[in-house]
Amino acid sequence: MKPIYRNILILLAIALVGGILAVMYTFRKTAVSVGSKKAEVEIQATGLLEAFETDEVKANEMYLGKIVSVTGTVESVSEDSVGISVYLKEDADFAGVICSFDKSADDVTNVNKGNVVVIKGICTGYLMDVVMNRCALVSHQQAGT
Amino acid sequence: MKTTFILILLSVLFQSVQAQKLVSRNSHIWFSASTHLEDIVGHNRQAVSILDPATGSVAFNLLVKSFEFKVALMQEHFNENYLESDKYPKSTFQGKINNNADINYKKDGTYQADVSGDLTIHNVTHPVSTKGTIDVKEGVVTAKAQFIVKPADYNIAIPSVVENKIAKEVEVNVEGRYSEN
Repeated sequence: MKPIYRNILILLAIALVGGILAVMYTFRKTAVSVGSKKAEVEIQATGLLEAFETDEVKANEMYLGKIVSVTGTVESVSEDSVGISVYLKEDADFAGVICSFDKSADDVTNVNKGNVVVIKGICTGYLMDVVMNRCALVSHQQAGT
Repeated sequence: MKTTFILILLSVLFQSVQAQKLVSRNSHIWFSASTHLEDIVGHNRQAVSILDPATGSVAFNLLVKSFEFKVALMQEHFNENYLESDKYPKSTFQGKINNNADINYKKDGTYQADVSGDLTIHNVTHPVSTKGTIDVKEGVVTAKAQFIVKPADYNIAIPSVVENKIAKEVEVNVEGRYSEN
């Protein structure tokens, strides 16, 4: 076999393997990890809630599906069999922002009521509260420090 | 006379405070549209639900974008092609427990619940009914139910290329854990 044909054959083989890997990657890729991504919007929990309370349609356009970093005061932390959720709410507000974490998020277990936290997550919309999922804890300040 | 009136008024007010609604902010709703070709399961752990023990009326409200899948591409297709969650971000169920009188929300136990109501998905509403359970344990009320949804009924078009990968009948599971509000 002429060397030129052999080289083409090798190239084709490489391309084929690469193609198969690319397809496998695309179709089997697991969900994005928010922790390693940069937030598209940075906002206070109260501001985010206000945006949805005033004009939900507009707020949906602005925040839905985006990685949002919110700063707020922790009202409660609850854990169930599937995950951990941190509820951010200011005393003056009637509602807040619910942030859902995976069960594996160990750092969240140190978060307590009254702490000021910065949480990054994907904003999925507004029901009774603004909802964020796939959250990651960015920073965490104990009350009074 | 006046005192009696005030007393009656107070007792009515007190009663209305007592008959509080049960609220859940983290109800878990998941569905399976799996076939032998593909495992398709989506979980939503942020559904809001309100249950009124006095009347048996029950409502669920969820954000379509809150469904999480194992594979990112599945979630993308689910949102963009099938449920069109940018256009229709919410799904709701509004219904009633028909045998509410049989359920004692103050006493521990597992009660059968016969539920019927209207389910809205993809901006299309259909009646659904199912049998579920209400668990009462140490004051915590948990509601569980399961029913079947056909995507075609809700104008959800599945392209023929993937037709055989997605179940024609999707099994939906609901689990609401309530606290008093």
